[in-house]
Amino acid sequence: MPVSILPPSAPIAAQHLKREDSDEEMSDDDLPTSTSKSSIVTPGETITSDPQWMRGHGTYVPADTSTIISTVAGHLHKTNKLLSVQPLRARYNPEIGDLVVGRIVSVQTKKWTVDIAAPMLASLPLSAINLPGGILRRRTAVDELNIRTFFSEGDLLVAEVQSLHQDNTASLHTRSLKYGKLRNGLFTSLSGAGGGILSRRGGVVRSKRQTFTLNTAAGEIDVILGVNGYIFISAHSKTAQEQKDVSITRLEESVSETLYSSQNDEIQPGVLREITRVSTLIKGLVACGSRVDEDMIARVYEGAVELEAEERSLGGVERGVGAKGVVETVLARLEMGG
Amino acid sequence: MAPAQAAHVNLSPAELSFLRSSLSQTPPIRLDNTKGPRDFRSMRAEYDVLPGANGSARIALEDGTEALVGVKAEVEKSRWRPAAGQQESMLTVATGDVMMRDDNEEEDESKGKGQNAWIEMSVEIPGFRDDDPLPVFLAAMLTESLLASGALKDRLYINRRFHWKLYVDVLLLSPPLSYPLALLSMTAHLALLTSRLPALKSEKDEDPLFDDDWDASVPLYPKTGKSTSIAQADKPPVIILAMAVGPNIIFDPCKEELAVADAVLAIACANATSSTTGARIVSIRTIDPPSHLTPPGIPNSMNSATGGTVPASSAEALTQRELLADTGVWTPPRGGMKRDLISQIVKMAVETGGVAEEVIGALQAIEVG
Repeated sequence: MPVSILPPSAPIAAQHLKREDSDEEMSDDDLPTSTSKSSIVTPGETITSDPQWMRGHGTYVPADTSTIISTVAGHLHKTNKLLSVQPLRARYNPEIGDLVVGRIVSVQTKKWTVDIAAPMLASLPLSAINLPGGILRRRTAVDELNIRTFFSEGDLLVAEVQSLHQDNTASLHTRSLKYGKLRNGLFTSLSGAGGGILSRRGGVVRSKRQTFTLNTAAGEIDVILGVNGYIFISAHSKTAQEQKDVSITRLEESVSETLYSSQNDEIQPGVLREITRVSTLIKGLVACGSRVDEDMIARVYEGAVELEAEERSLGGVERGVGAKGVVETVLARLEMGG
Repeated sequence: MAPAQAAHVNLSPAELSFLRSSLSQTPPIRLDNTKGPRDFRSMRAEYDVLPGANGSARIALEDGTEALVGVKAEVEKSRWRPAAGQQESMLTVATGDVMMRDDNEEEDESKGKGQNAWIEMSVEIPGFRDDDPLPVFLAAMLTESLLASGALKDRLYINRRFHWKLYVDVLLLSPPLSYPLALLSMTAHLALLTSRLPALKSEKDEDPLFDDDWDASVPLYPKTGKSTSIAQADKPPVIILAMAVGPNIIFDPCKEELAVADAVLAIACANATSSTTGARIVSIRTIDPPSHLTPPGIPNSMNSATGGTVPASSAEALTQRELLADTGVWTPPRGGMKRDLISQIVKMAVETGGVAEEVIGALQAIEVG
């Protein structure tokens, strides 16, 4: 059926709203909103006027009162006597060492400004990139003139947050073989969930491995989960695998000539299909309010492939519409299986 | 040619090349791989959302794009028209319950009772001014398709001195993530389809008096072919967006897909009055695809950072690009649409069981269900 129009969605099922990390032993409190765990406070809403509570993040106490008022829309958290509100949606807050996927917004004389979904644009200085061929030298005026041959507006790159300035703008670097320009793949952005320490509903969370390779029937594909909620899924490049064993002393030899290429390699149709499938599934995962990490993606991917095979052999398998429907079905099956 | 979306594409050449190659596969691999080339993005719709309006609807797409349409009717005094003698004879015929045939538009202007000015459309899109090309074009396209049949404006006629003035306010609640024309038109369709006008109690040229009872109100678009001139129940038009990539035709493209389109076509379709086709076309426009404005990718052989040599002059660069046989380099599409491509798209839209019929049917099903 080409067109599917549904009635407005019912409130999200209670299972997704359950907050596993809220302190239950605080039963002696008499907060008006603490009765139900799924309660959401809105900006300007009075949380409590009891002076025994302390204000935390996302709250505000007007002068001369002891009333605690929420400043963001989100879930209420209590840590002993500290009240904080965890926003439902927030921009990515950069931290040193984060692996991020970014898009070049503008090119300046000695640096690029990069959109990393943070409140402010990040900067990538010319001195923080690898030169083609891995030559280690000072950046000259010639490099400054040729700055667009490395990255130009709109280009995608994967980088690491090197330092944070006082105003919380991030400075990035790509001085590793893992980082650099992105090609041969598809970019997906997940909105409003990037990089929380506390697990928000859905989105990428900081984990041990942000980049991994997924084995598919058509071939291997690389997935880069930026902590900022930007995701890049690409065809697996063989050369990158070979480069991993190279020691730092032979860096110049290993940095391939295609480091700053904006030309795609030949990609098999099967791989194209698997890349779009993974991207669709990740979007579906977020729509279902589930967290996005390596384990989850691998499991859901397998489930989705199985589902498709079943559909092809048996005919119509009951499932919802679109990406969310597929992911919901797969998740339900995974739960059943254990 | 309609203006392209002002917010330009911000994708890298490598991404554009990837999207292009996946969409030109047979069958095309869409960005949402659960969808086929004829599938619309799934959406959620409701109607009668605004209590004070005669009709209203809201449609939200999965990606967060959301449109709200309110239809408000007001009684307005008709302006006295100078061609009174001619008017008089015409109107006596009209009040004698012989409905006007909806002929072409010029004739409606002089012969039909309805006037184009009785329908006022306003389109509001966040981030755009009222007089920006995009909202102006969208409003013009929506109004044009709405007036095309001529049946709607005739239904706004009350008597010689009064008429209904219909205000259709189209509001996009989210930033335009994709070209919003199709969504806005579907929302407007649903709002108009569910609009109701109070029942008239007064007769002929009296000052109009209406029934207080809302249950007695009459739908703006009659459900059945009660009126003699309309064989099948008239329904508002709906605009369908289609794009072409290589040999493939894709309906309801998303923003990323539009960024690599060869050509984009907006087809306004109304339901068929005869049973030979699924729908009929009321207007059609090509839309300048944003892909024309994208910068071309630089092939490795011309990139100094990848071991190539930068061409000495721009003429040389052009020659080298033309000779390029590599598929991995993004080259923005050139030129317009081929004639047979247009006819193919149009056929897919209007044929029996085609896209237009399904869209109109799906929107109708909401009202019924």
